[in-house]
Amino acid sequence: MKKLPLAIALCAVCASASSFAEVRINGFASIVGGKTLDDNTSRYGYDNDISFKNESVFALQLSADLQDKLSATAQIVARGENDFDAEFEWAYLTYEFTDELQLSAGKMRVPFYRYSDFLDVGYAYRWVRPPQSVYSIPFSTYEGLSLLHTSQIGDWDSTLQVIYGGFDGDIVAVTNNDEAKLNDIAGVNWTLSYDWFSVRAAYLVAETSINLSNGEAGGQAINGLEQLLRDNGLITQADDIAINEDDGTFIGVGFSIDYNNILFDAEYTQFEVEKSILAKQSQYYASIGYRMDEWIIHFTYEDNDDKHDKSRFDQVTQVPPLNNGINQALNGVRAQSDVYTIGTRYDFHSSAALKVDFSRFNDDISDTETDVIAVAVDLVF
Amino acid sequence: MKKLILAGLMSACSFSAFAGVTVIVNTGNANTIDQDEIKKIYLGKSKSFADGVKVNPVNQNGNSITDEFNDKVIGKSSSQLNAYWSKLVFTGKGTPPEKLDNDQAVINFVSSNADAIGYIDSSKVSDAVKVIATF
Repeated sequence: MKKLPLAIALCAVCASASSFAEVRINGFASIVGGKTLDDNTSRYGYDNDISFKNESVFALQLSADLQDKLSATAQIVARGENDFDAEFEWAYLTYEFTDELQLSAGKMRVPFYRYSDFLDVGYAYRWVRPPQSVYSIPFSTYEGLSLLHTSQIGDWDSTLQVIYGGFDGDIVAVTNNDEAKLNDIAGVNWTLSYDWFSVRAAYLVAETSINLSNGEAGGQAINGLEQLLRDNGLITQADDIAINEDDGTFIGVGFSIDYNNILFDAEYTQFEVEKSILAKQSQYYASIGYRMDEWIIHFTYEDNDDKHDKSRFDQVTQVPPLNNGINQALNGVRAQSDVYTIGTRYDFHSSAALKVDFSRFNDDISDTETDVIAVAVDLVF
Repeated sequence: MKKLILAGLMSACSFSAFAGVTVIVNTGNANTIDQDEIKKIYLGKSKSFADGVKVNPVNQNGNSITDEFNDKVIGKSSSQLNAYWSKLVFTGKGTPPEKLDNDQAVINFVSSNADAIGYIDSSKVSDAVKVIATF
């Protein structure tokens, strides 16, 4: 009963919309099946039992041209990992000042990486998933403004984007359920491309606060340590553990080549939230591919290194137990790993691709190795 | 010598397989448009003609003339073009040219829209449109 008025309202909206706006519907989907190859291992959300849900995505995009240089776009994404609950991941208005300059406002993707903007559109790249050592920032959207300037400088295409906005929501920082609030996210990125070559640089800052959940041991230990330091009058040290209105900085550079069927991609990123328990992170990947008509074979190496500067250790040697506690916490967030991926993409249809990736993840801290195999069908429509 | 004969054979083959693709605009369009400009228009990089008029390009709907145009003029396969456009479409940075069903539909569209550009099988060219290049 309740659904009927909604349906009528929708029809009314559609009917009235069609009278002045042209609505375009596009979509993309990835169906991915994968598993780890050994018992008791997990990686990229997979364990030893095959899952078709974890990395599968289905999305629809509606865009309405409202005439007079104004358009509205919404992208509704259903992810297998969220039981295919549909969510608006993009919803924004765009005003085109000129052919070169447009301003968008609403909910959009944070342009951290080269592939950020189309992270979910598997069809747009060769891997099953972009290199996760680099593509690791645990949130991907923001609410705010984006100014985009495209132009041609001689034979080069230039795309310059400036963004401003904020984010709040639950993310995976130390535990699986941490409450994050980022204010004053400001960033700029610039891409220059020349036929077969493209280079990009990005810089973003944000005032970062993250409330670690007490629901997991890791979060509880860090929150406990912070409180203990505070109770003992070590306010500076407590503030250096807490992630509270701290300066977050992100730097990313990358380039890609698509020349005579040889493909090469590399990106280097650095991420830091100063004066917090979060370790300074640096990551990179390099990937080479070769295209033979409808087939691409590729090989990718990724590296991740998260650690605190030496200067952060041994700050309260006069109180050995607390000093130890801080050192342990700082060491606890240390991470070092590398990944080798070999894979293939086959364009079996003009708008669908079949991919197989095999990845070997080496954790240098625990000295463990995890193998993951995944098969994907990506399509756009 | 052998190479020459082979080359001759190959060009004969390609002639029989493809009649050629012709790029057309409205008869009232006085702009000079070279292959590089056509490529830019069809990749969404150029949005206006030299005289400042917003360009309105049309594609054909996945037929052999589309493949020939993509191959000869754009230099990309239809899969590569689909991947290229998916990066722009799903990020609000551009929309691909609309698709019409056949050569006649493109001729009709181009002859009745001053800002239009399209491509057709070279054998279908008519006086209703202006030819700017043949590939």
